[in-house]
This record gives sequence, structure tokens and C-alpha cells, in this order.
Amino acid sequence: MAIMEREIEVITPITATPSSTYGVLKRPVAATGWRAWVFTVDHKKLGLMYGVTAMFFFIVGGVEALLIRLQLAAPNGKVLNADLYNQMFTMHATTMVFLFVMPMAAGFANYFIPLQIGARDVAFPRMNALGFWLLLFGGIFINLSWFLGGAADGGWFMYAPNSGPVFSPTHGIDFWAFGLQIAGIASLTGAINLIVTVLNMRAPGMTLMKMPIFTWMMTVVQFLLLFAVPVITVALFLLSFQRNFGARFFDVAAGADPLLWQHLFWIFGHPEVYILVLPSFGIVSEVLPVFSRKPLFGYPFVVFSGAAIGFVGWGVWAHHMFASGLGPVSVAVFSLTTMAIAVPTGVKIINWTLTMWGGKLVFSTAMKFSIGLIVLFTVGGLSGVTHSVAPSDTQQTDTYYIVAHFHYVLFGGGVLGIFSGLYYWWPKMFGKMLNERLGNWNFWLMVIGMNLTFGPMHILGLQGQPRRMYQFTNARSGEGLFNFAFWNLVASIGSFVLAVGILLFLINVVITARNPTKSPLDPWNARSLEWMTSNPPKEHNFDVIPTVHHLDEFFHRKYEEDSATHTMRQIATAEEIMAEQERNADAHIHMPSPSYWPVVLAFGLPVITFGMIFSHLIAVFGAIIVFFAAFGWALEPSTAPASDFETNNSAPGKALESVGKS
Amino acid sequence: MTDITAHGHASSTGISNVKLGMWTFLGSECLLFGGLISTYMLYRGRVTGGPRPSQIFDIPFTSVSSFVLLMSSLTMVLAVSAAHKSEDRKTNLWLTVTALLGATFVGGQVYEFTAFYNEGLGFSTSLFGSSFYTLTGFHGVHVTVGIIMLMSLVGIFKRSKVSGNKAEVVEMIGLYWHFVDIVWIIIFTLVYLIPV
Amino acid sequence: MNHSAKHLYLKHLVTSVLRMVGKKSRTLFGVSLLSFIAASCAKNAPQDTWQPKGPNAKIIDDLQQPVFAVAGVIGLIVAVAVIYSVLKYKDRGQPIPEQTHGKPALEITLTIIPALILAVVAVFTFGAIFKLAKTDDTEMIINVTGQQWWWEYDYPVQNDFGITQPIISSGQLVLPVGTKVLLRETSRDVIHSYWIPALNGKRDAVPGRIQTLRLEADEPGIFTGQCTEFCGLSHANMRMEAVALSKADFAKWVANQQAAYVAPAKDSLAQQGEAVFLNQCVRCHQVNGLMRADGTPAIAAPDENVWSGSAPNLTHLMSRNTFAGASFDLLSKQCRDEVWNAPSDVIGTKYLAGVSQDCLNQKDLRSWLRNAPEMLPMYANPTQLAATGGKYRGMPYLALSEDDISKLVAYLLTLK
Repeated sequence: MAIMEREIEVITPITATPSSTYGVLKRPVAATGWRAWVFTVDHKKLGLMYGVTAMFFFIVGGVEALLIRLQLAAPNGKVLNADLYNQMFTMHATTMVFLFVMPMAAGFANYFIPLQIGARDVAFPRMNALGFWLLLFGGIFINLSWFLGGAADGGWFMYAPNSGPVFSPTHGIDFWAFGLQIAGIASLTGAINLIVTVLNMRAPGMTLMKMPIFTWMMTVVQFLLLFAVPVITVALFLLSFQRNFGARFFDVAAGADPLLWQHLFWIFGHPEVYILVLPSFGIVSEVLPVFSRKPLFGYPFVVFSGAAIGFVGWGVWAHHMFASGLGPVSVAVFSLTTMAIAVPTGVKIINWTLTMWGGKLVFSTAMKFSIGLIVLFTVGGLSGVTHSVAPSDTQQTDTYYIVAHFHYVLFGGGVLGIFSGLYYWWPKMFGKMLNERLGNWNFWLMVIGMNLTFGPMHILGLQGQPRRMYQFTNARSGEGLFNFAFWNLVASIGSFVLAVGILLFLINVVITARNPTKSPLDPWNARSLEWMTSNPPKEHNFDVIPTVHHLDEFFHRKYEEDSATHTMRQIATAEEIMAEQERNADAHIHMPSPSYWPVVLAFGLPVITFGMIFSHLIAVFGAIIVFFAAFGWALEPSTAPASDFETNNSAPGKALESVGKS
Repeated sequence: MTDITAHGHASSTGISNVKLGMWTFLGSECLLFGGLISTYMLYRGRVTGGPRPSQIFDIPFTSVSSFVLLMSSLTMVLAVSAAHKSEDRKTNLWLTVTALLGATFVGGQVYEFTAFYNEGLGFSTSLFGSSFYTLTGFHGVHVTVGIIMLMSLVGIFKRSKVSGNKAEVVEMIGLYWHFVDIVWIIIFTLVYLIPV
Repeated sequence: MNHSAKHLYLKHLVTSVLRMVGKKSRTLFGVSLLSFIAASCAKNAPQDTWQPKGPNAKIIDDLQQPVFAVAGVIGLIVAVAVIYSVLKYKDRGQPIPEQTHGKPALEITLTIIPALILAVVAVFTFGAIFKLAKTDDTEMIINVTGQQWWWEYDYPVQNDFGITQPIISSGQLVLPVGTKVLLRETSRDVIHSYWIPALNGKRDAVPGRIQTLRLEADEPGIFTGQCTEFCGLSHANMRMEAVALSKADFAKWVANQQAAYVAPAKDSLAQQGEAVFLNQCVRCHQVNGLMRADGTPAIAAPDENVWSGSAPNLTHLMSRNTFAGASFDLLSKQCRDEVWNAPSDVIGTKYLAGVSQDCLNQKDLRSWLRNAPEMLPMYANPTQLAATGGKYRGMPYLALSEDDISKLVAYLLTLK
């Protein structure tokens, strides 16, 4: 790795045409066209690519969800057969967890962590690109199974022995296991990269306790990934070895214990839950202070509660297994730890509410999503507390009550936070603001839709409808108007309301893209460093690396406290701060050159795994690709020759002209 | 090489990015081997008619190959030290010796696997077989990757392709190598020395 | 949800809500909340988790009622606080407020309060966990084995209950009321989960393990449940029914289960059906006491034909209300309602009457015999059997003629 990432010698690249750059070991320099994206190592471009990929898979997973709801809209549904239904719910969960929420969080982290800590890139730019391509290829690889004999059908939890070759004879689970393995490497490289970035590359003066809260929460997430991913890696290897090479890890006839898989899966799987929601907690903790015009209430408490969740999150996994037969002592212990983790989670909710308390609230769409998150995540959090009561959980587990619970957590918590972040950071990423009126509709339809969809599932679950059933029958649905058929229908209608809400977001994106109006430099009166540069930021992020004196540095450069009234008085505008930076712009900024190898190396892995499933010869071919790409990577010159670059028109000190006036 | 942060200020921790990155990666590796070792410890007694661990382990042989691997950590230290003193020839020499010792260990493992297989322990024979080969195989692959990295380093140094600080690179690969050695000490103790 | 349970929950919920809302709107708010919750539940949902019918489920219910109430109150407090701030602190041109970074004393207080609430909950939770894990007060043992997609119930010899030879049944778990029954669960293939919500929470049936679950019913009745661990294609159809009988009725049931085989009358349709059964069904399905034409006992060999190794034992099939893993009713709709809706003092008698010719659900049974894979998704398609060495999972298509089906139905009706 040492040879891969080293001092970059020259040049603020950029609009340059690849002239003589196709020599095997030269670095590409294209700054326009598709090459500028495929070979890029720029954290912002990669962040956007993560975002687009995640959105694509969000739509895929959403269509899967709608098919599930269509099937369950009435008793004895006939839209899908049992086999297809099992594939559908397996892939819905897999897609939403691994291919939507995680990449979306990775996208935000990639784009905003360097900006928030005042860095010009991440620690390992090429590894960053590798991570993205692995995620994309891994995601495509998993979904290839739809066309090659059927997708995985064991549920995203893939309990052994139901995941064994006898019980799932198609290649679906092979694709699933290998694809997640590839996406797992992406998470691992991302985690290493961002941890080093945050620990090593903060702007001068930015101590850990002056770090923006989003960066903090994402850092906790990266540590969770760092330690959780290898555990699922082991589990997936055991599964693949069993399915493809005759290992006997989950073969009960050989004396295997099926609970081994459950322990490995949930040791990964529960931290994974926090991997999914903590990014949104970070976003909300950024958005609420901005639109309350107040600092985050109890910043250190929010930081430490995030870290506490990160730690205690490792000690609660068996609460997914209260019905598995762990024995009363284990059940009691995990019951207790699960209650314990509710405390730091509660701290966050309290702090968000108190951040708004006494503020000057501006109800932008981003703010609405954040407020929605507080309320709806609280519902999910509290139903989570009811599961920590293990005896009660033995009634609720594997019923729709659980489905309701984790959708309030992951949709009410995770997805609403993501949308809050999209509305909040859109002007930063694209220099244009999303339409706020459409945003309002988008918000309300999503909130109403999600409550219609997941709210009734509480009732269904408590009244005894199990999960993962491709059909439900009238015989067990109760009587009266509000029987299961009614609530299932409500949920199905709600899912389409939700879908319309999300469609409005996509329409909003298109409308915004066509609207020529530029965003002001600081449209939200924001507080953190990412807003102290142009929209979108230049390739090198900051003309001058800022020196940090405060938490909320940008806000404190704009405002000063009136010592008499303790209210805040504006002393500078964002434009003035920007102009000041442009005057003092660094003359020589070193940025890494693009590279061919991340995408080539990443492509080799799905070729190997494809070969593992179908023909070992193909796997050898993939291994050769990986081998050569690794050496290409290692031997690549540190930068393209200066003569390859053309003139530079995003030079320091030249961005303010393009900014819209507020 | 200490300033690989690419934009003009020293790293916040004082540790270079590559080294910090490697430490982070090794933290993750601990969990990988933790999972594999746990699996083995759970399953080592489940032999379903196949050979038991005590019937096939050749402790003296494995002790010798473990010793060889341990010695390679020593030569790795010498390589790092030579690199810090910018003694290129010595660095290359010790890196090569380290790789050779590693290769000897891997050779020993291949021999051992063959012998076990001939004594009736296949990958599919029993849970013990599956988990033994998986655990030690993963470790063997780690050593092999280390050997490839060491030999590549020697090759690259000879062509003077490294623009940065060589010592930093050698040290980083050294971290990896020592980690793999330490993992072997744990595996050797748990798998071979502690009776089922 | 049932009334007493609901009542308790609502009392907690409503009183605390009322304290928070203004005096004038109290009545209106209380009434509308009450009617909303009351109205939004299905009536008589058979698997309602808030309607305990036995002491074990009652332990859980007593615990979950207050927990849900407290959770509901906390949720309301948060919602009210958020809505209050939204209304109160809306930007009306006020100056940017003081940049306070928090009040540690308040923070610590608000951290300790939920921690204390949870500590109290934990104490009661621990008590319940250990009460529900007790096995030393067991009065009766039933072995329960899950298999794709049905449950086998095996009553080991227990002279106290008149069980002098093992009883093997499926589809319906029959147990005496007021008796501490311990299920010993396992599985023959994948993980299943046994759940009768009215009697207790669920416990997974894990292959290679034996795990226990306490069950006890207060009153005679039939309680339904469903497999709650995803177990493949027909997971949704893997149902169970627990029939609680008075001790006297249970003794009658035991006696019937141990009754000797009665061969069908000579030259009857049923006797021809017996021949079909011997020809086709006995490969997998055992009927205790059935003899082959040559006078040897007809022993089924399901392990040679079914991957998971067993098929439901059909001795006394007509004493059960259901077939095919409780996926289908053996009783016609009307007859079934008569048994299931009977008051608890006569339900035993009605149940023990079994399935008569008039009450038989001919349609489903005949369809099942005609083409089982069409009725229930199973891996019974011969092209899918490569992984199992040709063994079936679930009942395959047998290409029986309509004549054979009629004969078989007549024969099955004799298995009282």
C-alpha cells in the first residue's frame, strides 16, 4: 500500500485532454467526458457516483418492495409465487441495506468528510475509487442472479441450514454471498480510508472535539464497519465454502451447530444497524442546528452517545436470537445490554429536541425531514425497547411488529435523514437548490406514506401475523372491518403513496437540473467548513486550508456575540469570507492524478467470483486481471507528466464569479 | 513520506497515512482471524469418523516450521532497520531472506496438508477438517500475499521506482508481516498445542 | 385485542396523556384516542399476542402491558415536545439566539431518568425470563419435531396420562388443560419456530438441538399458531393448532390414539382404498397396524423417499381437524365452525367426534391427492431434486386416477 499512495508532486490538474497518456503505466488525466469519471480519484466525484449508484439501487429495492406489497394487498395474493416472493424479500432487504443506505452514507462521507475537516482529499484517493467500483460491481453481481436462474431466497439473514445447497439449489445464494463479499471489501477499504483521513488530515486547529458532528458520527460508523465487515466476511466464506467446495460448516449431519451462523451474522448484523442509522443521526445533527440558528445542544453528549452506541452495539447481537434457545442467562444479559443501548440513543433524541428549543426555526425541506426523523425514529426506538424485554420479544419476534419496528428505525431514522441531507447539501454539490415547494410535497407524501405503510404493521404483528409469508389467509386474520386484510391493504396503499413521494424527489432533481438559477454561496446560513468554499467546491476544495478556532467555525466567522444581549450580530458574509480566501489562495496545490487501475482491479473480482460459480477457468482469468491491476497500481508513476495537462481553469481564486446572489 | 497528506501540513496524529492505514487494516484482520479461530475452536472435536487432531498432528514438524516463520520476523526487523539507514543492498538482502523463510513455512504447510489429506482428512471429511483447512489456509494465504509483497518490493527497489521514503514502505509491510506471525503463534498454540 | 388486556393498557396510556393536554380537550382527546385504538384492532384474531390463555402467556402479557404503556407515554412526550418547539420557536424575525452549547446538569438528569426506568423494567424482565425457563415443574412431555412444512408430535410413554405406548401424531397438538406441558423441540431439516401465541412466546426448533418450551392452557379450546422462522417455500403454510382438552377428554383422546387398527370392511370401497394406500402411500406414510397382503406389517420408509426423513403418520388421521401440516382443514367449513366456536365445556366432546363422512372437506383432500405440489409450493418437482439425490421435499404428484382418489378417501375415512 505504501507505494500506492504517496506524495503527489505537482499540479492542480485539470481540464486536460489525454494526449499521449495511454502508455501502460502512465496516469490518465482526462477532466471531461466519461474518462473523467471512470478514472477519477476525486473524493467529490466518487461521492456523487456513490450517490447515483445508491439512488439506482433504491429504486430497484423500492420496486421490489412494491411487488411485495402488491402480493400482500389481499389474502391469498397471486402476484408472485412463493419462490419469487422469497427472492423478492431477500433481495429487497439486501438491496436496501447493502446497496442503498450503506453506499448513500459512503457517498455523503466521501463528499463531505474532507470538506468538513478542511482537507483537499482523502488519505488514499485510489483506494477510494477502488471502493466505489467494488461496490458497484458487487451490487450488479448480486443482481445478475435474477437473470441466471433466480436470486437468493434465504432471507437477508440467510440462516443456516436453510441456505445450504440442498435447500436452495439455485445459484442465487452463491451470487449473494460473493457479491456481498465484494461489497464488503469496498466497505473495508472505505473504512480504512476515512478513518485515516479523519485522524490525520484535519485542518490546523480542528481538535477532535471541534470536529463537525456528521464527521464524528461517520467516523464511528467507519470503526463499526472496520470491525463488523470481517465477521460477515468469515460467515460468507463459511457459507460459500459449504456451497461450492463441500465444506460442512452448517451440515447438521456432521454435527454442525446452526446457531454458529446466527452468532456470526448478528455480531456483524447488529453493528450494521448502527452503521445504517448513525450517518443519518450525523446529518440531522448538522441540519437541526443550522435551521435552529443554535449550536447542537450538548455536542459532547451527542459525540459520546454516538461512540457509546458504537461500543455497546457490539454487545447486543443476541437480542435477534431470543427465540433461538440461548438459555435464560444469555437472554437476560442481552436483554440488559439492549436496554442499556436505549439510553445513549435516547440522549440523542433529547439533544435534538433541545437544539430546537429556544431557537429560531426555519422550516426548509431539509429541516422538515430532520424533524420528521426525530418523531418517527422515536417510534422505532421505543418499539425497540419493547423488544429488549425478552419474554415480550418471544411473542413479537418474526412478526410484522418487528417489520414495523425496523422500518421506523431504518426508514424513519435512516432514509428521512438521507433525504434531509440531500436537500441540505444539494446546493453544495450542484450549485443549485432543489425546489422547496416540491420538496414540501415530497416530505409530506413520504411521511404520510411511510406511516400508512409501516404503522398498521404494528397492529398486524401484535395480532399475530408472522413475517416472510408469501400469503396470508382469512382464516387467521380476525373479524370485523379492521381485520388483517384491511390493514394489509392500507399498508399496500401507503407503499404507493410513499413511492409517489420518492418519485417527486426524482422529478425535483430533473426540474432543478434544468433550472438555470444558481444557488447563493451560503443558502442556509450554515455553520461548518464545507460551506466555506464554492458551490460546487473546486477540485482542490479550499483555496486556503482554514485554521479552525471553534466548533461551527464558519458560523463564528460570520457572527459575533453581542456581549450585552448575548444575541448574535453578523460581522461578515459568506461572500466576503470567500473573497478573502481567494485573495490569499495557495499558489501550489498538489492533487493526485486519476488512475486506470482501481476500476480494472475492481472488475477482476466479480470475474473471479463468477468463475467460482460457473467455471474455474474464468476465475483464473479474473485472478490474472487482479494480479496485473495490482502491479499496474503499484508501479504507476505518482502523477501524470506535467506536459499532459492543459491549462487550468479552476485555479485557486476564481470561483466567486459563478456564485448566485442571494 | 511522512507528509503524504498531499497538502502541505503534517498529519494530525504524527503517524503517516500509510502506517495508520495498515494499523487500521490489521485491526480489522484481528476480527477476521477471530471469527475463523472461534469457528475452529467450536468444531475441532467434531470429527464424524475422520481422523482426530491428535492422530494426525506432527507437532515437531510444525514446531520447526513455526520457528522458521518466527525467525522471519527477526529478518524483517533487520530489513526495516537497514531501510531506515538507507542501506539499500542490506534492505534488499533481508527482505529476500524474509520472503524465503516465509516461503519455507508455506512449503511446510503444503507438505503438511498433503500428509493430512493422505491420512484421511479431506476438506469435506468432518467439521474438524473443514474448519482446520479454512483457518490454516487463510493464514497461509496471508503469508503468501506477504511473500509476494516482499518480493515485489525488492523488484521495485531494484528499478528505483519508489519516489517516496523507502523505509516507510518497508516498515508498513513489516507491520503486516509481524501481524501474520503473531496470528500464527496464536493458531499454533490453540490448534496444535492445546489438546481437544 | 381482548378487553381486559386492552383496558389495562388504555388506562395507563390515557391517564398519562390526559395529564398533558388542556382541561377542555381532555374528554374529547381521551374518547377519540380510546376509540381509535379500540377500533383499529381486528376482532377475535386467533393469534393475537395480547390475549393470553394460559399462565406462561400471562407472565409475558403482564410484563408487556406496562412496558408498552410506558413506551407510549414517552413517545407522546417526545412528540409533544417536538410539536411544541416547532410551534413556539418558529422564525418570526426574532434575533439569532444565544449560542448555548448545552446544560450538562440537564443532560445528565435526562440521561439518568430513562436509565432508571429501564432498570425497573429490567428487574421484572429478569424475573419473567427465569420463570419461563423453568423445567423442573414439568408434568407432561411432548416431543415436537419440525420438518418442511409440518410438525410431528410424539408423546413418549407417560403412565400418569394413560400413555402406555408412544403416540405419534401431526397437525394438531393435543394437550390436557391445567397441566404443565414441556415441549422438547427439534427439527429434521432447517430451523422452524414453534409458536402458539395464546399459550406462550415462540421457541426455535433447531436441527441437532433439543430446546424446550413451556405450554399450559387454562381452559379447553383450540389455539392457533404459525411457524415463525423462515423455512423455505411453504413457510407461510406451516401452521399449528393446539387443542386443549379437559383431563377426562384428554384421557379419551389418548385411548383412541392407542386403539388398534381396524381394517376396512370386506369388499368395501375403503378396502380397495387400502390396497391403493399400500401400493402408493405406504412408501412414506405409516399407518400403525396396517398389514400387507402377505400378512407382514406395512412399514413406511420415508427416509428413503423424503429428504428430511419423515412423513406424517396417518394412524387415526380422522381424529384430527387438519391435514398437510395444518395447511388445510379436514373438516368442511360448517362442521369446523361448529367445533371451533363451541363453548369450552363442550368443545372437547365435539372435537373427539373426529371427522365423519358428511363433515369431510372432500374438495381439498381430493385436490391434495390429485396433485399436492399444485396445492402447496414445495420442492416436489423432480427437476429440482438434483441436490437431494432424488429425494422429495413435500408430497409429490402421484398421478392417481379419480377412481383411486375416491377409494383412498374412503379408506382414509376409516382411520378414526
